[in-house]
Amino acid sequence: MIEILQWSTLAICGAAAVARIPSAVRGENRSLFYIFVLATLAILLSIDGPYVAIDRLLGGTNVTNLILRFVIFAVILLVGYRIARGFGAPASIRLILGPIGLGILAVIATATLVLFLLADTEGSVAGLTTLPSRSPRNAQLIELYAAAGRLYPAYVAASLLPATLAAASSNLAASIRWGAGLLSVAFVALPAGTLYPLLPDELGPLKALINYLAVLSLMGGLLTIWIGRVRAQPPARRSSTAK
Amino acid sequence: MPLPAKAFQRWLHGIAPQASTADICRISGVKRTTLAQQLVRGKVAESTVVSISRAFNINPVAALATFENYSELAASPVLPSAAELVSQIATMDLLKAVIARSAGAAGRGGTDAPEHAPPLTPAPHATSVKNWVDAIDDGELRHRVSTATGIAPQNYSAQLTANRLTPELAIATSREAGVGLTGGLVATGMITEAEAGWPPGARQAALDALTDGELAALAGERLQALGKTLKRQEQDHEQTKTIWENLG
Repeated sequence: MIEILQWSTLAICGAAAVARIPSAVRGENRSLFYIFVLATLAILLSIDGPYVAIDRLLGGTNVTNLILRFVIFAVILLVGYRIARGFGAPASIRLILGPIGLGILAVIATATLVLFLLADTEGSVAGLTTLPSRSPRNAQLIELYAAAGRLYPAYVAASLLPATLAAASSNLAASIRWGAGLLSVAFVALPAGTLYPLLPDELGPLKALINYLAVLSLMGGLLTIWIGRVRAQPPARRSSTAK
Repeated sequence: MPLPAKAFQRWLHGIAPQASTADICRISGVKRTTLAQQLVRGKVAESTVVSISRAFNINPVAALATFENYSELAASPVLPSAAELVSQIATMDLLKAVIARSAGAAGRGGTDAPEHAPPLTPAPHATSVKNWVDAIDDGELRHRVSTATGIAPQNYSAQLTANRLTPELAIATSREAGVGLTGGLVATGMITEAEAGWPPGARQAALDALTDGELAALAGERLQALGKTLKRQEQDHEQTKTIWENLG
């Protein structure tokens, strides 16, 4: 079940990235292309098979997981900036790119790196699932490391939620309202991720479900807004768009 | 509230016993799929009855009055008030009247310049529903309508802003305001002025009866409301552009 979700999310993101190539070549909103490419990479690195294969190449120390964290940070930063700009939310831009936002990013990134280096991470395993059982110390370190990784997306999402909710309930075009609605779902799901340590172990699959719900609604929201624009464009310009 | 399909079938049989559904649709211009769907659901829209009665030269108000939930329409029609009549004049027509009057005043004593503005565009206009309710509102009307019909005040306002009102609500609004029951149906465009029994030229007469001051104030109010609407549209447009520039 989760496997299907993972691979289809990967396929959707990959397709979106490929579909963005023509506009990226024309120089339209390249950052959106990078967002889809990085998101595709992040999903690829979070799937068991590709993760283990890549991590073995990189020495089998789970450094791939660290790379994945930083890829996610980059996607979130880019998405956050674009969405805050798009929805005309100066407060959100300040929270994300202002001294506070960048400070938080720096602290979290440093913490992620340090916790990773302190922990015993030998032996490739996706999601670092078996590492905590090695020692109580490792369990604590990995727990904190994972929490740090979820904190930054949660912070950015919470900064953007007011703007997307306002757009979703506005009088704008339907595609924008639906897109903003999907983005809002993602921005509720991402902060929900910080509550994972409180969830009992039996609800493990729920965590993955929330994660992919967040990714899918985030990508779905961006796609909806983009498709809305393509459809609203006059046919002459649309025909120059390969997709 | 839409009309029950059974009562509709009975009514249809009464006015055109021989005609098939296909004939009815062809003559009245109601889409066959639309009518079929309404009959299957058991609820026929008032507009369907209006279109069909027009095709058979029956007054739509009289036709609606044969249905139980619209039986009160059968009472002899009450003439619209001056305020209602003026509310059904389009903003641009009011502005033209302002210009025609001032041109008339300037040209008085000079050449025999035509003083009359062009004929009024037929009701309804772009904000006719809201203007109509404003014209008959004593300050408590919206409240009374929502109590009487159970519609939430914000839903009622949303309909007015969208220049829509269900026939049921239009009649309830008239009833609560104590004016002729068909005024709202004219404002929503369901029936014409003539079908509602408004005398020809009634709107023009009501307009002519306005003093220059009243006309100028009214036109000013309408223009201000129009300005607000346009500004909101421009803002939405601007916001859409920003969103597409960043995320499209």
